[in-house]
Amino acid sequence: MSEATVPKLELGRVGESLPRVDGIPKVTGEFAYSSDLQAAGMLWGHTVRSPHAHARVGTIDISAAVGMPGVHAVLTHEDIPGEKRYGLEFQDQPVLAYERVRYFGEPVALVAAEHPEQARRAAERIRVEYEPLEPLVDPERATEAEPLHPDRPTMGHGYRDDPRPNIVRSLVIRQGDPAAEGDVAVSGVYEIGIQDQAFLGPESGLAVPDGEGGVDVYVATQWLHVDRDQVAPCLNLKPEQVRIHLAGVGGAFGGREDLSMQIHGALLALHTNRPVKIVYNREESFVGHIHRHPAKIWAEHRASRDGRLVNVRVRILLDGGAYASSSTAVTSNAASFAVGPYAVDNALIESTCVYTNNPPCGAMRGFGAVQVCFAHEAQMDKLAEALDIDPIELRLLNALGPGGSLPTGQTITGTLPVADVIRRAAALDVPEAEELPRDPMRLPGGSGNTTRGEGVRRGVGFAVGFKNIGYSEGFDDYTAARVQLHADGSATVHCAAAEVGQGVANVILQVARTELGVRDVALAPHTTATVDSAGSASASRMTWMVSGAVRDACRAALEEWDKKGRSLEVDVERIYRHPRTTPLDPETGQVTGERAHVAYACAAMRVVAEVDVELGLTRVVWIGTAQDVGHAVNPQAVQGQIEGGTAQGLGLALMEEIQTRDGLITNASFTDYLIPTTLDMPPVVSELIEEAEPDAPYGVKGVGEPPTVVSTPAVVAALRAATGRELSRVPVRPDDIVGL
Amino acid sequence: MELLRPSSPEEATGALGNGSRALAGGTELVPLIRDGLVKADTLVEIRDVVPRGVTGTRIGAGTTLAELELDGEIPQALREACAQAASPQLRSMGTIGGNLLQATRCWYWRLGFDCWLHGGETCFARDGAQREHAVFGNDKCASAHPSDIAAALLALGATLRTTRREFAVAELYRLPTDDDRNVTTLAPDELILEIELTTPDASTYLKAMDRRKWSFPIVGVAAARFGGETRIALAGVAPIPWLLDSVAILDEATPLPGTGYKVEIARALVRRAIEAI
Ligand SMILES: Cc1cc2nc3c(=O)[nH]c(=O)nc-3n(C[C@H](O)[C@H](O)[C@H](O)COP(=O)(O)OP(=O)(O)OC[C@H]3O[C@@H](n4cnc5c(N)ncnc54)[C@H](O)[C@@H]3O)c2cc1C
Ligand code: SF4
Repeated sequence: MSEATVPKLELGRVGESLPRVDGIPKVTGEFAYSSDLQAAGMLWGHTVRSPHAHARVGTIDISAAVGMPGVHAVLTHEDIPGEKRYGLEFQDQPVLAYERVRYFGEPVALVAAEHPEQARRAAERIRVEYEPLEPLVDPERATEAEPLHPDRPTMGHGYRDDPRPNIVRSLVIRQGDPAAEGDVAVSGVYEIGIQDQAFLGPESGLAVPDGEGGVDVYVATQWLHVDRDQVAPCLNLKPEQVRIHLAGVGGAFGGREDLSMQIHGALLALHTNRPVKIVYNREESFVGHIHRHPAKIWAEHRASRDGRLVNVRVRILLDGGAYASSSTAVTSNAASFAVGPYAVDNALIESTCVYTNNPPCGAMRGFGAVQVCFAHEAQMDKLAEALDIDPIELRLLNALGPGGSLPTGQTITGTLPVADVIRRAAALDVPEAEELPRDPMRLPGGSGNTTRGEGVRRGVGFAVGFKNIGYSEGFDDYTAARVQLHADGSATVHCAAAEVGQGVANVILQVARTELGVRDVALAPHTTATVDSAGSASASRMTWMVSGAVRDACRAALEEWDKKGRSLEVDVERIYRHPRTTPLDPETGQVTGERAHVAYACAAMRVVAEVDVELGLTRVVWIGTAQDVGHAVNPQAVQGQIEGGTAQGLGLALMEEIQTRDGLITNASFTDYLIPTTLDMPPVVSELIEEAEPDAPYGVKGVGEPPTVVSTPAVVAALRAATGRELSRVPVRPDDIVGL
Repeated sequence: MELLRPSSPEEATGALGNGSRALAGGTELVPLIRDGLVKADTLVEIRDVVPRGVTGTRIGAGTTLAELELDGEIPQALREACAQAASPQLRSMGTIGGNLLQATRCWYWRLGFDCWLHGGETCFARDGAQREHAVFGNDKCASAHPSDIAAALLALGATLRTTRREFAVAELYRLPTDDDRNVTTLAPDELILEIELTTPDASTYLKAMDRRKWSFPIVGVAAARFGGETRIALAGVAPIPWLLDSVAILDEATPLPGTGYKVEIARALVRRAIEAI
């Protein structure tokens, strides 16, 4: 891993490299994760799940479970006092299944018992009458199949009205002359498998009844207030009767943006009037959260002889799985970034997400940009070859920058140093090939000791990508922060921003110390109880949004303090909003105002890989990257995000894929779903390109997603260079390299 | 469920069969019970009755993989196979006896699909995801035997001593048939006690994996040279560990559409293994 220098701690202000406040407790094992929660008199909840990907649900007979030892409650959809459906953006997902189950593992009933084993055994006694239906598992056939959601929950939200069945959203972006011809054209079809967030801390939480009809839910989540707003209506409670408190999060990456145990735990707690804890096991975790959308992408790039892009035509098909989640936004992100960070006058982009009975998909780090970056970077390399132009030159020639515009017609008003990240990444020194003989761990095949150098070829790959920062298309996105100044000169900050391991707790403290000029700043527990929403820990937005909100609240607090003669206690809350966005035109996909996305960040990456071409085994040797990070609040944390994000993209490039059969997940374990270990990840040399973003507090940008966006195509480009194979599908596994 | 702790092999075998199972390190058995794939009302802990440790060329079946990977005296192929298997935590619990008797990783089987090996009619790997599956002996069940250690012992020509008999390790395994879908010949109340090794002039184990460490073999190749003769055995290519009588037999492989690459990997790895010894 790259080395970050840690300067001496002065105050811990914006711009200083600071160790994470949760870092040492996490490595020493003292940090309490949500699965470590305990309460006196606590019961254990268990979720009964559908063994079918698609079935009609008949009667649910709970009688045998009710009287089992230790059992306090057995609940079905009939026991839901409020709304029977919930959803992150569209209320299309049953709290507990009724009439139909639409995916493998869909929750059907709940049990609470004294001991988790008693709950599990009682769950086994519940008899659910299923009438299995043909599962819809081929996304390419979805629009000809029977509708899974006849009520079309995502229609009428300002999206293009696509009458075909099973459309979650279909967006067409037309710019210039979509028929424009170039001198050369290259085309390709690309596929991306379903990636899982694979966070180590499974879904878990504790729901505690407050004795007055309300409930407190302590849970590992990404967006506390939106959890609350989904939980309360299902319980038939007012929002303030439901308080969501952030419990220790063991990774999120988008997978905790949708609800898991929140409503279930609260239902059981209110029903039994006891605290109820629910912890998913690993297998359950794989079915218990949404995944990255698998995609198929058809792309055609037309260019002039001198290498300028003339026309880019892309069709994207995303499999959304059974429920909408955030698929509509993923669909539009994929369309927005389909060309990549390149300027082109003519484009025709169609991005469609469909419902199927496959595992539900939603937010995952990179959010739509990952899939298309894999395709557009492969296309740029193909184009470079067709034109006999150096691939880096070709990218520089077409690089987008401030003042340039996207296929949606949006002009880049902030910073976007695409050419700069390309040049800086390309200028990094690539290490020489190591001498043979070498330790097996320094060869493809690793500990399997498969080669002493036989069959090994080396390849260097390059990729550039970009992504939006913040919520888009007119979403009213805001973050609240509350600052209390105490008589002794110390301060407390309240902010509901979820610390998911990205380091936002440090950001809050650093901003507060910078603004208040004091070191003694405490961070209150993240909760819905004491402060308004911080929005989601997603879309690389949190650092920007929290910086704005905490800055504004601190400044207001100081003003107030001055007014009060600098002695009394002060307590103020402020809300920060980023520049307003507007929707895309449903017919043309063009912006309807100044911007559909708030801002962008880009990254370029260079990868050296060695491949044993006889065995198909690989070793990623070295990764160098240059990333547009705005002003780095905590450079050490930025480097951490770059390394972690790169590893996640490398996982998609080389091994990570959920396998299904008729909609059933067949590899729901870390034995069968492989994720990279530290031995699969080389050191990362990262260059931070710090250009202050004009619209952002302190000039910051989000940094968590760009590395994940570019590392998959960069790794695969290196494999292509080493093998000469087309490798149009990720993950690339040995059979793709030595396959006949 | 009952847990018995017998103190002699006789007592142990007396308690085995009829819904009871031998428990060694439990790394394989416990997950199978949890997932409902093995039904057992009694577990017979064999820690005190099965020998543990290495004496000359004899290995107690209760020896852990972690102990073996550190043993400088045992042939290199076995030591490497142990070191490359599973993860350190599993190796410090898992025994060599249990390793030889581990079930397939075929996920249709592990998920309890009513497949041929479970007694059903169809092999789901045939028309489903199959890249992990077999290239030999796969006309009924196409599962791939996951044991690195078994391949090493097969190449080494080891023999087993059980509570009933002594026999070559090759005879522990059988291809399942319509009438008998077991992949081993061990009786329900028979315990493996010891493994007797031969001493090759040189041996090695090479393992192609989907990740650089901690994964099951795509193909594992064990090779052992005894004078002018070299014995080669493969893991991950057939429902049982596969002895390769000659390199040419690779041309007779019967891969599924998705497993042909394993033949290519095996070809290259076998060549490299032979060169290495
Ligand atoms: C995640 C994971 C990864 C793994 N990776 C690999 C790998 O890469 N390569 C590899 O080779 N293996 C691998 N394994 C298998 C692992 O090595 C075995 O699980 C372990 O060695 C089994 O030993 P145990 O003592 O725990 O057996 P147990 O689980 O106790 O028993 C397994 C079976 O053997 C029977 N048994 C045990 N001992 C005897 C005996 N002496 N006589 C008769 N019957 C007996 C039991 O009744 C049971 O049926 C992996 C396992 C896991 C869980
Ligand atoms: S390969 Fe064997 S274990 Fe797997 S599905 Fe086929 S018959 Fe069953």
